[in-house]
Amino acid sequence: MRRTKQIAVILSDTLQCAGLNSLLTDYFPPVNIADFRAFDDLPENGTGNGNGTDFHYYLTQADTFALNIDFFLPRRSRTLILTAGKAASPAAGCNCLDTGAPKEALIEQLQQFFSSEDTQNTVAERNKELSMREKDVLKLIAQGNTNKDIADKLNISLNTVLTHRKNITARLGIKTVSGLTFYAIMNGLVSSDAIG
Amino acid sequence: MQMSEVVEENPSLIPIISRFGIRLGLGDQSVAEICDKYELDTDFLLTVINTFLNEEYFPEKKLQTFHTSQIIDYLVKTNEYYLRFQLPNIERHLTSFISTSIPGNPILELIGKFFFSFKAKLVARIECDDRQWFSYCLALSEKLQDKLSGAASLPPLIHPEEPADDPIEALLADLKRILVKHLSGDYNLNLCYAVISAICSLEKDIRQHNRIRFRILTPMVEAMEKINRP
Repeated sequence: MRRTKQIAVILSDTLQCAGLNSLLTDYFPPVNIADFRAFDDLPENGTGNGNGTDFHYYLTQADTFALNIDFFLPRRSRTLILTAGKAASPAAGCNCLDTGAPKEALIEQLQQFFSSEDTQNTVAERNKELSMREKDVLKLIAQGNTNKDIADKLNISLNTVLTHRKNITARLGIKTVSGLTFYAIMNGLVSSDAIG
Repeated sequence: MQMSEVVEENPSLIPIISRFGIRLGLGDQSVAEICDKYELDTDFLLTVINTFLNEEYFPEKKLQTFHTSQIIDYLVKTNEYYLRFQLPNIERHLTSFISTSIPGNPILELIGKFFFSFKAKLVARIECDDRQWFSYCLALSEKLQDKLSGAASLPPLIHPEEPADDPIEALLADLKRILVKHLSGDYNLNLCYAVISAICSLEKDIRQHNRIRFRILTPMVEAMEKINRP
């Protein structure tokens, strides 16, 4: 499953922002875009503690990048800087997008930006097989157990159960208990008689 | 612009305009003329149509300026449409999909069961809307108009869950994904396509319904409750 790209667009120019939004939505789905007028509006502002609030990608303008270099430098492979004309990159190894370029070129640049970052994630995502432990968790979900029950039965923490569930959903693309139950029956993990 | 042009361009609007009582045979009338004829608020009709056609467009502030009864009337009509047409439509396709595929593919039977559990949830939500939620919203809005006369305030009702993930939408998405991704054994592909198309059409409609429900109606009700508090 292609993951939904969580993108933060930090631009003071409303039109630029709208244009970028429409390009991303039309040509790079699935995307989930959050618009910010200024860097200070970012929820994780500056701290970048990586506690899951981190966006996959940051699209911003050169001055915002330069003013918040501490934040962007560690994320430079995931950051794209909008420049007018082929201006020099504000820092080495940064991705730039020339806003004056024709539409076709813009899309190509965006494509390159996303694909260079994507390769790191796909290997793990392609491994669709569930692990033994995940299968155990899935079985218990299908039998109608709550997360707490599962934790007790497998002797693992509630957090571990939640992590397993998250991974199962990511692998199969199925979110609901009914859907997971269906998958478990279909793959012989539980028999349909075992379901209430 | 002529209404007929809009509908020709976007036939998916036919069920939407029918919720406003507009029938085909639109002739050369403009949108404004049609609204005049059916005694509709042109602005409201256009806003609903535009948000339906363009999922990026959702003017929350503007939608919240319409009257509660308009919003609810529209949601009631969409619920009716699910019950009378879209659910039976999926069911019809699904039944023929299951019965014409080679008997003994147990997965198809399971898919049938999955659909019926989804249907039960949606029907239950609609029943709750009719019985409780919508009438509460309307009563609240009326109370607010009588506020000057010092009417008693209503006891607050527990609002329908704010969906981080609406269960109705999630089930439908899973059903579609299971068909596309996890189907196996022998089956009739053409009929499966019919099922998936019907699911997609309901999915789009529910997505639209839900954003009006949770992002427009719920905040309106919360605002009214605040004013209405004694």
